Amino acid sequence: MSSDAVKKRKPKVIRSEAGAPETKRGRAEGDQDVRVYNEEVELEVRDPQQDYMLYKDTCAALAKLMEEIQELKAGGAKVQSVEIEERRTQCSVHFITLKKLNRLAHMRLKKGRDQTHEAKQRVDVLHLQLQNLLYEVMHLQKEIGKCLEFRSQHEEIELVSEEEFFQEAPAEISRPHVTRDDQHQLTLARLDWELEQRKRLAEQYKMSLARKEKIQKAIEQKREYLSSLQPGLQNIMQASLPVQEYLAIPFEHMQKQAEVARHLPPPLYVLLVQAGAYGQACDKNLSVSISGDVDEAKALSRPPEDSQDDESDSDAEEEQQNTKRRRATLGVQLDDKRKEMLRRHPLSLCVDLKCKDGSVLHLFFYYLMNLNILTVKTKVSTTTDLSGAVSAGELLNSESLLNCLYASDHGKETPNPANRYQFDKVGITTFGDYVSDLGHPFVWVQKLGGLQFSSGGAQSGLTGSALSASHMERTMKLLRGRLQARLALHKQFSSLEHSIIPVSSECQHLFPAKVVSGLVRWTTMSCQEFTELGFVQHVLKAGLVHETDLFFMATVERGTARLRAAVVMNPRYPEVAPLFSLSLHWKGERSGRTDDNLQAMESEVNVFRSELQGPRPGLQLLTNQIQRLCVCLDVYLETESQVCDGSEGPKEFPREKMCLRTARGPSRLKPFKYNHPQGFFSHR
Amino acid sequence: MGPVELLHMSVFSQSFSPCGRFLAAGNNYGEIALFSLSAALSPDASEGSQKPILNFTAHDGPVFSLLSTDTHLLSAGNGEISAWSWAELIKKVSQLFSKCMTSLEIPEINAMIINPKDNSLIVGGGDNNIHIMDMETGIFKSVLKGHTDYIHCLCFKEREEEILSGGEDGAVRIWGHTEIPLSRFQTCSGMVGQECARPQFGKWISCLATDSDWMLCGGGPSLSLWHLRSMSPTSVFPLPGCQREAVFHQDLIMSVGEGPYVSHCLHGGTVKAQIPCTPSSLNTLALNLKNTEHRVMTVGGSSHQIDVFTNFSYRAFSLSF
Repeated sequence: MSSDAVKKRKPKVIRSEAGAPETKRGRAEGDQDVRVYNEEVELEVRDPQQDYMLYKDTCAALAKLMEEIQELKAGGAKVQSVEIEERRTQCSVHFITLKKLNRLAHMRLKKGRDQTHEAKQRVDVLHLQLQNLLYEVMHLQKEIGKCLEFRSQHEEIELVSEEEFFQEAPAEISRPHVTRDDQHQLTLARLDWELEQRKRLAEQYKMSLARKEKIQKAIEQKREYLSSLQPGLQNIMQASLPVQEYLAIPFEHMQKQAEVARHLPPPLYVLLVQAGAYGQACDKNLSVSISGDVDEAKALSRPPEDSQDDESDSDAEEEQQNTKRRRATLGVQLDDKRKEMLRRHPLSLCVDLKCKDGSVLHLFFYYLMNLNILTVKTKVSTTTDLSGAVSAGELLNSESLLNCLYASDHGKETPNPANRYQFDKVGITTFGDYVSDLGHPFVWVQKLGGLQFSSGGAQSGLTGSALSASHMERTMKLLRGRLQARLALHKQFSSLEHSIIPVSSECQHLFPAKVVSGLVRWTTMSCQEFTELGFVQHVLKAGLVHETDLFFMATVERGTARLRAAVVMNPRYPEVAPLFSLSLHWKGERSGRTDDNLQAMESEVNVFRSELQGPRPGLQLLTNQIQRLCVCLDVYLETESQVCDGSEGPKEFPREKMCLRTARGPSRLKPFKYNHPQGFFSHR
Repeated sequence: MGPVELLHMSVFSQSFSPCGRFLAAGNNYGEIALFSLSAALSPDASEGSQKPILNFTAHDGPVFSLLSTDTHLLSAGNGEISAWSWAELIKKVSQLFSKCMTSLEIPEINAMIINPKDNSLIVGGGDNNIHIMDMETGIFKSVLKGHTDYIHCLCFKEREEEILSGGEDGAVRIWGHTEIPLSRFQTCSGMVGQECARPQFGKWISCLATDSDWMLCGGGPSLSLWHLRSMSPTSVFPLPGCQREAVFHQDLIMSVGEGPYVSHCLHGGTVKAQIPCTPSSLNTLALNLKNTEHRVMTVGGSSHQIDVFTNFSYRAFSLSF
């Protein structure tokens, strides 16, 4: 580049030098023919190839001359010799030629470069133009594409199908002659039609709204009218109460009850319905009523805020609360959880069973919501005062009154097996601890409420009301029987404590007219005391004694002989007969195990109990058994012929009873069987 | 049979079958139960095999006496004797053909024995008499009168064909071929055998057993061994209760009675052992000598259980009604 620049400068200098004088001359002689020496023009004329040959020739000549000079100088010629001078001059001329050629070459090069540059420029311009055009083409193509893809909003409107359109639209809109051919027109027409329809429907909608408003207003008016009637009706109802009572149709009472009954939990409701139905149909002395707090019950039936079923949630809540405020002790927390689990429904049923003698058995049924079981509490109210008998304390005790109404139904444990898991969570070991508070969860109570729990044993396929109905009659009969039995026993006990054995006239035929042995003591015993007696072990071993039984001791005396009888009474008396075990203290101690005759006496009262039942429902069984014991003791003592201590003398007990034979069989049993009306004793 | 009835049951009589594999027992309710000894004694016996295979009501009074012949089981109820075929019983069918003794009405029958020589059945009971019945024809041949109170027990001396009877009146009578008693001797005080009398209990004789020249008798008086020819007691056994049944077995005397044990005594008069058992007092003792496989002793009394002794020294198990 710099050499280029230098070379460019050189020709400029020359030109300007050449030009200056020439222009001087030019100005001086304007009219004259101007001799311009332009080397560039010369360049166009000369042929580069010739120049090249000239250059080579010149170089060669120069070289040759130099050689000659050399030779001459070597030959010893002097520097200023003519030949050398000549040759030198020729060399100089050759140099000048070379220089000119060099100049020309440079000028040619420059010219070539300029031409290339120009061409390039031209190409660039064209290239740019091409690119512009291509870009525009692309742009236009895109635009075309966009135009082609354009979706007009009208296509989002659902239009009716073409056939329908042609069928429905009036001619001025559908213009079939135009639209059938022209798609665009068709679409326009369809849109028109759509618009028309929509306008019409909007009109209809407005009209319907207006109508609805009117009707709403009318309803409001009527409602106000009705509510204004309510107080009037109430007055009428009040006024009709005396009429109801007079006619003995407790209409309103039943309605109120039905109203409250709606809030009862299902098992209590089933019980209410079934008991009420049974009472109306079969048993006029049964009445059912609801007691408890209705508002609480209503509160319960609203959606619960903290559901008890979701233990984990409530636990989480509790934990959160505990971190915020002072932590309650673990015991208190557990206590609360337990209380929650054992919560009773606020409503309860009260069933009253009246007996002929005026005494009433009150049964209170409760529903434990979380455990899904029913419990019952009892109360007995009598017309007469029952404080007479000491030994009868346990008989009407509300805790044990309904024990074992059905065999082995103790009511100490919950019959719902799912409760076991619930108890484990809150640390309740046994439901028995809470029974005195909450009532007894007997199995028959669950059945009356229609609750059936799979607890082994045969179960019927009934549930709900059918189950309740199938058990109602029998249970009510058993309940009434139980109350009557207990009341009868109560009376009998007070008599027994006064050493009088009450034998009714219907049972007089079972015993002889004269009975000398008499009851002197009648007391009650605890289970512990009973099991410690020596002469009852055989009964214990045979498994005939249960914790729920009642235990008594009767003492019969005649002269020096004293007979003690330990009595085991099953709560289901008189269905299950009391069991007697005897021990005689007379000239030694004997019991049913050691003396065959005492065992025979035990047989008389235990095995042949069906003779002693008395008139239905067999409530005199116990007293008849005791009387028979007295009779048997008489026979025993009177037929005892041996004198144990070896001395002869009058017998302590003279024979008064008529017996055919005093001993019979290998074990020499005495005649204990009394025959009526002949009045003699024989063997069985 | 409820649990209360079982509690008050007494077993009065037992008899083994001719083959020795079955035991029949009679109780105070008039029932006879048949137990299978082979099942109860087998190695894989269970609770069920100690229950009767057949239980039926034979009489309406207690069954005080059972006796087995070669083919039949004879049972005595209130005034009637029934015969049951063993073959039928084993097949668990109770089939009865009974011969009512028209001469005995209400009185019970306490003892029956068989005279194999002339195939007759000797019966003693509540009407103070001994009746002899011909088993083939079923008619009563003769009546032996003499006792003043009812007869407890009978026993037969094979060699001389003599019958011994003991009764409530305290007398033991020996009857020969005639209807007149050969001899009688009483064991109450004032007569021969004072040392065995026990007036505090009474004078009745409830058990008799003979072994040719020797006789055992007991009841109110203590159990004593008598020499028949000299009619004197040779040894008196100091057993506290009244004995109801005694047998001679090899050189031992086994007896049961009041008290929950079986007494083993020696001829000399000593009580060798008293083996305890379940019932509180025992009425009957039976030895199964016909069958060597099932050689057991069974006792029954005032309980519904019958104790079985495979080794006579201790109780093995109990069958129960």
